[in-house]
Amino acid sequence: MAYFGRRLVHMLIVLWAIATLLFLLFRLMPGDPTIAQIDPTFTEEQRQLVKAQFGLDRPLPEQYLIYMRNLAVGEFGLSFRQRRPVLGLVLEVLPNTLLLTLSALIVAYAFGALFGSYLAWRRGSLFETVSVPLVLATRATPEFWLGMIVLALFAFGLNWFPSGGANSAGARYASEWGRILSLDYLHHLVLPVLTLAIYLQGLPVLLMRSNMLEVMREEFVTMARMKGLSERRIMLRHAARNALLPLVTAFAVGFGQSVGGNVVVESVFSWPGLGRLLVNAVANSDYPLAQGAFLIIALVLVTMNFLADLAYGLLDPRVVHGDR
Amino acid sequence: MSTLLAVDNLSVAYRRDGRAIRAVDGVDLTLPAGVMLGLVGESGCGKSTLARALMGVLPGNARIAGGSIRLAGEDLLAMAPAARRARLWRDISFVPQTAMNALDPVYRLRDQMREVLTERGGLPRAAADRRAEELFGAVGLDPRRLEDFPHQFSGGMRQRATIAMALALSPKLIIADEPVTALDVIVQRQVLDTLRALGRDLGLSAIIVTHDISVVAYLCSLTAVMYAGRIVEYGPTAALTRAPAHPYTMGLMNASPDLDRAVETLVAIDGAPPDLSRPPRGCRFAPRCRFALPACRESEPAAVAVGDQHRSACLRAGEAPALRAAAGRARTEAAP
Amino acid sequence: MAIADIAREGAAAGKPVPAGALARFAGYLWQNPSALVGLVIYLVFVLVALLAGLIAPYDPTEILFADDGQLAASLPPSAAHLLGTTNLGRDVFSQLVLGARPSLLVGITAALAVATIGSLVGLVAGYLGGFVDRTLMRLADLVLGLPFLPFVIVLVALAGASLQQIVLAVALLLWPNAARVIRSQVLTLSQRQFVEAARVTGASEWRIMFVHIAPNIVPLAFLYGSIAVGWAILTEASLSFLGFGKADAISWGTMLQDAYASQALDRQQFAWFVPPGICLVLVVLAGFLISRGYEELLFPKLREGR
Repeated sequence: MAYFGRRLVHMLIVLWAIATLLFLLFRLMPGDPTIAQIDPTFTEEQRQLVKAQFGLDRPLPEQYLIYMRNLAVGEFGLSFRQRRPVLGLVLEVLPNTLLLTLSALIVAYAFGALFGSYLAWRRGSLFETVSVPLVLATRATPEFWLGMIVLALFAFGLNWFPSGGANSAGARYASEWGRILSLDYLHHLVLPVLTLAIYLQGLPVLLMRSNMLEVMREEFVTMARMKGLSERRIMLRHAARNALLPLVTAFAVGFGQSVGGNVVVESVFSWPGLGRLLVNAVANSDYPLAQGAFLIIALVLVTMNFLADLAYGLLDPRVVHGDR
Repeated sequence: MSTLLAVDNLSVAYRRDGRAIRAVDGVDLTLPAGVMLGLVGESGCGKSTLARALMGVLPGNARIAGGSIRLAGEDLLAMAPAARRARLWRDISFVPQTAMNALDPVYRLRDQMREVLTERGGLPRAAADRRAEELFGAVGLDPRRLEDFPHQFSGGMRQRATIAMALALSPKLIIADEPVTALDVIVQRQVLDTLRALGRDLGLSAIIVTHDISVVAYLCSLTAVMYAGRIVEYGPTAALTRAPAHPYTMGLMNASPDLDRAVETLVAIDGAPPDLSRPPRGCRFAPRCRFALPACRESEPAAVAVGDQHRSACLRAGEAPALRAAAGRARTEAAP
Repeated sequence: MAIADIAREGAAAGKPVPAGALARFAGYLWQNPSALVGLVIYLVFVLVALLAGLIAPYDPTEILFADDGQLAASLPPSAAHLLGTTNLGRDVFSQLVLGARPSLLVGITAALAVATIGSLVGLVAGYLGGFVDRTLMRLADLVLGLPFLPFVIVLVALAGASLQQIVLAVALLLWPNAARVIRSQVLTLSQRQFVEAARVTGASEWRIMFVHIAPNIVPLAFLYGSIAVGWAILTEASLSFLGFGKADAISWGTMLQDAYASQALDRQQFAWFVPPGICLVLVVLAGFLISRGYEELLFPKLREGR
């Protein structure tokens, strides 16, 4: 219990530090310091609103406290481009990013666990010797280039899938859930998920393979053989079950990291997610939006790292039930 | 007494760096039913390899290079793999060394016991659970501990658990590889007592593989001494330990301190075991043997009977009493 | 004898790793084919980058016209244009060849930067310990908590996009792992006798740090530098693709961005956008193979697990 308490505190400290870092970075920009929150083309009303919200006429330390308090309640200011609260814009696209990332990770890790075990089982074979460098190559591949090839082949070439976006233009849905669960959404989801999954599977495949190889050398696997248990039972119930533990942690960590790296995949497929929001915001010098998008991405990352620690703790009986 | 296990001219070869190493070379062994046999030897003599060969789990780079293993009359090596696998654990089971990670860390003991009893024993779950509790009781463990994970057990308890597991299907033969080596002395004695009681109550047949001759003396009625892949002496434990008929065995007896007797000079055996990729010509112990004659380096000595069911693979086995007396004296004295 | 042994011996004697180790390193490469392949690929690309001016048949930014005065736009591969032309009539092959330069430049400078920063931080934290150590390691934790690409984008947004900025951004985010490992190494080395000896003879703390300990962490610094190369190259490519690269620079990333924006995907102009990606994959893969091979050299135990 104390362990988790410590991890939680650590997580909060990291979040605080990141927020502070951003605060300093934006304030350090040359020129008018209010430019981080106020766009020159704001109306007077909007200008006053933001000034009040962020205490922009107060001394810097006070501004910092107000800033932190605002963050805690989700107040990021107004988007320069869209003249709407940043939080709203971010929350609109958050589900898209989460869905994309989660789907891709599930596909990648499910495939990774299976293929990695298979490679371990087929150790020394020609198949394995060829596969391992190939898998390594997928980790060296730029995600956006992979996306471009996938797009060119399946969307533009074969016309099996749409070439971008999350929904077809002009489509109307009863509710947000309706939109997300529609076949149209799924249709748009396939190619981005495929691309991301191809890129992400390298890690679980290689990790599972090396875990399996290690576990297969353990005494309890030899014992299982001596007991006359079937090879399949040994591989699945004993070897894979033990080899899987680190993958669970990697999954959680991978989620956090992927949310950040999704930036390029979202851009290639014009997928309306956090990454694309960030890129567009930066391209338009829309600082509040950029800050908001970045902070939410960081939040997801840090949270997932924390959940990863939790997950490993829960799954490894040695941690839960105390090591002797 | 019927013969339970008959190992005939068994050889196991490893391939390492392109060389073939015979870790087990032409081993003959018989075990009557209801008897515990101690297989003694120093590290690297091939006893663990022999144990694993009997269980059919040699590592990938090892191969049976000849011979037969007859369990209750059937040659395990001549069988189809499926037939052999069917006999595993039912006819012949294994107790591993405690220090090893022999129990799956992510499953409770109850699940592991259940697995063996249902998958290999064909018992329905409830019956399996009852049997598991029975087995734990038989080895002196509280049946409530079945709920625990392996890491929650102490070394001695873990060892008892593996013994319980080995007994699960009431096998004809149990092979124990260094069953008490990794335990501290007091716990060792407790586990040995458990094994002794089981042997007596269940009429267990077992092969106890160990480097510690005192374990063998305590537990086994028969002893086989192994050196450099071969059995150098074999016979009833009492006779073998009191009156060893092979220089190596004599060395082992002299090298083991006996807490009961008065202070005596411990005599170490000089040198090291031979390189098995290039075994020496003649007797393998000759390079280290103070009693070696030129004839010893010519050819491998055949086993010679030196008593009832007692044989020794030494050219000078006939002179055993004199050699024993000489071996007991300090090293600096000249050999006879 | 591996370089690791030599490094250890050197540590024991307090001397830096000798140059004769190079020959032994070459001998080791022979045993590790994948690292060798990586090295060969690397050398090929370095050569191409150096000789780009000679290899490229055209100026990559020059808009070309066909004999009949028409724009030589979107031509398929031919003898005159090995990989065809872009939609604006530029030779793709020339762009590919010259694109090697920024990528390799970024990779190598970022590697050096990561190795340097990581070494300095690791050295100072490990040797001085106490408050300095704790602060630096807290800083490392913070950096590791940042989402990589988004943060680089934010930095580039604030500081502007140029190769130097990109290298700096990458280095600022990749130093923690190097620093941590080097710090452990320094902690171990600090206990060694030669440090005691140096202290007794009156050497100042700084001198001990930089003259005695530093040379022994060079292999580790090199390792983490080599790992950083691949990341740096991919980051530069990603940033260029997203449109944050320099305006008229030619790199593999900008080629891909150009192709994407010019609807090359729709026109199925595979010859345009597939080769730059392949080059990226090869260079980054080579980096992986080399760093893995080198890691096995430093830590031989890893070899068994493969």
